[in-house]
Amino acid sequence: MAAIIEMDGVSFSYGAEAEHALDDVSLRVNEGDFVGIIGPSGAGKSTLAACLSGAIPHHFTGELFGSTLIAGKDTCDVTLTDISRLVGSVAQDIDAQMVASVVEDELLFGLENFGVPHDQIEDRIARTLATVGIADLREREIATLSGGQKQKVAIAAILALEPRVLVLDEPTAALDPVSSRVVFETLADVNRRLGVTVIVIEQKVALLSSFCSRVVVMDHGRIALSGTPHEVFGHSDRLRAIGVDSPRTARISNSLVGDGLVAQAAPCLNVDEAHALIRSVLAGVPGVTQAAADDPEPSPHIPTRPHAQGADPILTFRQVGFTYPSGGASVTDLDITVYPGELVGIVGQNGAGKTTLTKLLNGLLKPTRGKVRVAGLDTRETPVSTVAAHVATLFQNPDRQICKNTVLDEVAFGLELTGVDPAAARERARRVIKRFGLPAGEAPFSLSRGQRQMVALAGVVVMEPDIVVLDEPTSGLDYRECMTVMETVRDMADHGSAVIMVCHDMEVVSDFAERIVVMADGRILGRGPAADLFANTALMEAASVTPPQVIDLSVRLARDVSPAFAHITEVSDIVRTVKELMGRA
Amino acid sequence: MLNVIDYVPGDTLLHRLNPVTKLALAAAIIAATFLANTYAALVGLLVLTLLLAAYAGVFGRLARLLKLLVPIALIMLVLQLVFVRGGDTLFSFVTDEGLITGGKACLRLLGVALLLVLMLMVTKLTDLANACVEKLHIPYKYAFTFTTALRFVPVFSQEMNAIMEAQTARGVQYDTKNPFKKMQLMLPLCVPLLISSVSKTDATALAAEQRGFYLRTRASSYRRYPFAARDIVVFALCVALIVGGIVL
Repeated sequence: MAAIIEMDGVSFSYGAEAEHALDDVSLRVNEGDFVGIIGPSGAGKSTLAACLSGAIPHHFTGELFGSTLIAGKDTCDVTLTDISRLVGSVAQDIDAQMVASVVEDELLFGLENFGVPHDQIEDRIARTLATVGIADLREREIATLSGGQKQKVAIAAILALEPRVLVLDEPTAALDPVSSRVVFETLADVNRRLGVTVIVIEQKVALLSSFCSRVVVMDHGRIALSGTPHEVFGHSDRLRAIGVDSPRTARISNSLVGDGLVAQAAPCLNVDEAHALIRSVLAGVPGVTQAAADDPEPSPHIPTRPHAQGADPILTFRQVGFTYPSGGASVTDLDITVYPGELVGIVGQNGAGKTTLTKLLNGLLKPTRGKVRVAGLDTRETPVSTVAAHVATLFQNPDRQICKNTVLDEVAFGLELTGVDPAAARERARRVIKRFGLPAGEAPFSLSRGQRQMVALAGVVVMEPDIVVLDEPTSGLDYRECMTVMETVRDMADHGSAVIMVCHDMEVVSDFAERIVVMADGRILGRGPAADLFANTALMEAASVTPPQVIDLSVRLARDVSPAFAHITEVSDIVRTVKELMGRA
Repeated sequence: MLNVIDYVPGDTLLHRLNPVTKLALAAAIIAATFLANTYAALVGLLVLTLLLAAYAGVFGRLARLLKLLVPIALIMLVLQLVFVRGGDTLFSFVTDEGLITGGKACLRLLGVALLLVLMLMVTKLTDLANACVEKLHIPYKYAFTFTTALRFVPVFSQEMNAIMEAQTARGVQYDTKNPFKKMQLMLPLCVPLLISSVSKTDATALAAEQRGFYLRTRASSYRRYPFAARDIVVFALCVALIVGGIVL
């Protein structure tokens, strides 16, 4: 098939002094490909997308070397508008991309500008809305749509222009797992039926591996790996060194191959493949199904922390209800008790009431019914600024938290607010900054997104709070940054803070939370040990939550192959169990 | 409260008027408000605005805005009372001339503000921009700048709210009763707000250009905005209003 995009030796830096954001990148994309781009933050993914969409060299200034050909034309020789006829791009910030207040007008804007004959416009709008599956949203105000719907409107507005290439920069960053999947299904459909080439930057490996025909891994401005998902995710160790996650099932199959238990070379990209692989491996082993008569002992890796022994709960919700005055998502009958040193995950779909719960917790919202007690204080009677001395919140977007001119001032700010003597506050801040390896004298806004999140995290750590609230702590972070954040938080829990974490990434929740609370429609559907609840298929379906891959796999293996797989939550335990079962034969 | 200028869908005559006609009507009422010099005329114009709002079904929303505007109008009245020194003294520093001019200034303020908001409530911004480009030959660049600025108002106020929430959760005392202290605490927040605004604006400019912004001409708009008989009638009414304003 013909190449639609040919990049040859492209380097780019955002200024003569700046480091190369792209470093000698050569990439060929064939028409009809579905390419996923992944890499740690600062690897040059967005810069690459900007080169493909013509924003470099036409919008961002800097030094560009090499050539980028789109359908045979060099991007330097044609105008941005002409490039846009071929390459449609969907920006990271959806609100900034919108130009109209009604869905139909949003689609009209591009069609009118590019001079599509007026007698064809109606047909194009109707067809595009149907393709993306939002025909019913045509007359709606964009401001009233959910995140997933907005994303689809943005895609439709570009798709209506019938581009040959679609470039998307992290389209699912703000979405829950179900909406993320729907967006990718839409993209796959457009790719298959209309033959549009799709290039998508994405951090969620499970999505990349199940939808893309090709995955490109970037690191330090270069292309580190490129190939089919099976080829790329076969290199788990290399990926981990770069700072990129790989599907847990791929880690399992790679370990099995590494230990010589399996001959197959291609990694398993999803639970089905891993299930089939382990089943076939163990099929030849006699007596496997009876082998696990001896009760499966709990996984030795689950840390047991000395919490809740004689301690008073640090947080209690009693029959808490809250309704927004303007209507919208409300919560009812919330009962939660958390002890010092516990790590509790809150899971559920967008709109389940998770954010409302966190705001009730730090006092931003006062309950309409029931009582919230934080460190012995009733939030209804206590000013938020007093609650803040006990509860520290790490918000999803660090830029809303940061308001000082230097990292040191920023980290010390929270302490000073709670009345700690400025000199002592600075001393404590300095220690934490040093531990995180942050530049104390720099302006926080000159740092990268990941580092700004670290500054915000340092501001939380320095407070030594009774309760830490995390609202989507991992969104927008790469795998390595995500692990740093979570390990820091676990360390805080070890030192006695209670941690409440709202998170869409179930793999992270299952790795770090020992208890979870499952929410849907403003109610708590279930609570208890993470492993048990994730293994409860009916509960997970009721809450529209996709369980973590390893737990999903172990539940299915325990049912079909051997009870020995029951209650397993970690990659290494699956591998160990397979080894033991084979050894027994 | 945030989105007072949002479009309110409807099918009244006011909604169906050509956007340019609505603009002319607003301009005429504003002109009359400034030309008229009697209380009766000013109150009459204000009542006219409120009647129009009630007819278009947006009276409730406008009333909420009124709650915000009345204190501002009262502050203006006090300032006028202090600074207008002519006429006879009624009591302490208040003179009759000050009271009269101050009262009129208040009514004018309310009349203009309510009217402009009313007009935005019954007109889609896209229609307003397209109609101005088609009928008034305004370059699209300016129309787009204007509508984008208005569209960003709720976006930025949401952003500001989120920032305030984050800061409150850290312990900044926005729940203080002292308005000056609150002001002092809010000033540093301009930094994060400014930074997110600049990057948002840049992203918008790029996104618009990538969707053919520079190709747009007067003829691009899919929708056409012809004047109907009702528009002519309203234009006549506009002239009458201005004449009325001069006479009264």
